[in-house]
Amino acid sequence: MRIEERRYTKTDHLRPTGYLAKSLVVTFKGLWRNTKNRPCTVQYPWEKVVYPDNYRGRPGIVLDKCIGCGRCAKECPNQCIEMVQIELPNLGAVKRPQVNVGRCMMCGNCAEACPTNAMMVTPDFELASYSRAEMIFDPIKLQHPYKPGYEVNYEFALLSEMKGGEAKTYAKNDPNVHDVIVLEGAKCISCGRCAKTCPAGVIVMTETGELNPKTKKPIKHPKFDNTKCVVCEQCVEVCPKSALSIKEVL
Amino acid sequence: MSTLYTVLQDVTEWLMGLIASLVDWTKLGFLSGLADWLETEPVLTTVTTLLVALIYFISLMMFGLCFIWMERKFLGRFMDRRGTQVGVLGFFQNFADGIKVVLKEHIVPKAADKPLFELGVFGILATSFMLLGCIPLSPQFYVINVPLALLLGIAIFSFAPFSLLIGAWASNNKFSLIGGMRGAAQLIALEIPILLVVVSVVVMTGSLSFNGIVGWQQAHIWLGIPLFIGMVTFLVAGIGESERVPFDLPEAEAELVEGWTTEYGDVRWGLVMACDYFRAYIMCGLLTMMFLGGWDGPDFIWAEVWYLAKTFIVFFFFIWARAAMVRIRTDQILKLGWTRLLPLALINLLIAISLKVAEVF
Repeated sequence: MRIEERRYTKTDHLRPTGYLAKSLVVTFKGLWRNTKNRPCTVQYPWEKVVYPDNYRGRPGIVLDKCIGCGRCAKECPNQCIEMVQIELPNLGAVKRPQVNVGRCMMCGNCAEACPTNAMMVTPDFELASYSRAEMIFDPIKLQHPYKPGYEVNYEFALLSEMKGGEAKTYAKNDPNVHDVIVLEGAKCISCGRCAKTCPAGVIVMTETGELNPKTKKPIKHPKFDNTKCVVCEQCVEVCPKSALSIKEVL
Repeated sequence: MSTLYTVLQDVTEWLMGLIASLVDWTKLGFLSGLADWLETEPVLTTVTTLLVALIYFISLMMFGLCFIWMERKFLGRFMDRRGTQVGVLGFFQNFADGIKVVLKEHIVPKAADKPLFELGVFGILATSFMLLGCIPLSPQFYVINVPLALLLGIAIFSFAPFSLLIGAWASNNKFSLIGGMRGAAQLIALEIPILLVVVSVVVMTGSLSFNGIVGWQQAHIWLGIPLFIGMVTFLVAGIGESERVPFDLPEAEAELVEGWTTEYGDVRWGLVMACDYFRAYIMCGLLTMMFLGGWDGPDFIWAEVWYLAKTFIVFFFFIWARAAMVRIRTDQILKLGWTRLLPLALINLLIAISLKVAEVF
């Protein structure tokens, strides 16, 4: 019966069939079902619902993959990621992300932004603790064993190609399609800070062939290996003369 | 004499002898008369009766707890959840609640009528506990066996409206007073159908004692079959009389905040709450006695077990009604009482009389 066809009379719910018999039958069916099978209550600490495959819990990190580019900290909408200095046995003092999980909203943007898929979303959601300090996960505590599927991947298309009518999709971190760093050569003072800062090690100071008129030494300019660049913008930030800028790929 | 009484008589004699010898051992001259007095017949009878009442009371209190537990678990299943979880199958939740209630502070409102405030609770407690003693579990296990036990039970039951009104008035709270008024009106309205159904049972069996009623049913037929209308009327009126959903106006949790018990806090409130279940047990017990043959049943297990099993089954219907139905208004309850249940009870009485006149049984 369609809903529009149902007619309610004034005392419909007070008739024996409506008030007594129907409700008794409905509740008894529920009792039988819940006794035969089990109630829908999940006794949480002892039994857990199977979480979906794409569940996004707290962020986790694989320290071996992390290059310390800081893109996660830049992307974080809640600004709960901070790059802190830690001592790693094989690398020495490096900067790695520290997450304030108490402020994290589990959006997974950090894992999406990560160029090496070191940052990932884990299914870990039981984060309650007795103090706020325990909620701050330093890089060591943030580690989580990797499983395929924890990393966040995406595909994208370029606007310029979409205008042309044929949109080609590219995978995340496609080495050929990403923003590039542009050098304004006249501003460069050849200090080499960008090369020292670059976490991916793609900047090499190369000689341009010209000589400095005063010191008679060859002038060096940074040269970028765009297939390895992760566009972390650290070189742009560190440049004292603002000679570097980002050219977006569109 | 119940078996319980005869067994406890020996215990009492031994106990009194022990106390008397202790008194003798003190060698205090002025106590020598006391030792003799302790072993006289009246003292022994009194102490034995008290012991019987105590044991009966404790065992029925435990069954009352079972009722609460049963309601919690069954309501849980009715509502697609699990009910209580503490202890074995959640049974110890009642004890936890009891301990919590006992540890609470006793608060009397400043403007309350203090003596009446205390009296209201003790009125309903005393009547409910007296009722526990009125209903025997079996011909061997009982406290009192008076010829007019059924009438006595109903009479004590009808004391409740007074306690409600006293407690409600003494609280000096308008919502409590409304709750008490509602409760009293409802209890009085539903008492008359109950009494008429009881009359029909008495007409059929010709006895007012539970032994007589159950004996008649053992000899002939369970009264629930010929007097089915009466049984249904008694069930509905019994749910109303024990103030349970869908007739729980006196303690409308949502809008009257527990009705007349709003101002009661500590163990008094806990006992009143337990009394609700004792009164529900008494209604189930009366229904079992009058219509389902009491302790009548095959002989392979004790009579008490038959009686209690039937009581629990009747209580299941109470729970079922609670899970299925919503609360109805005061005027609807009164209308139901006066224009539906009363005629049904009268028809039932007519059936009983005609069966008796036609000498079917």
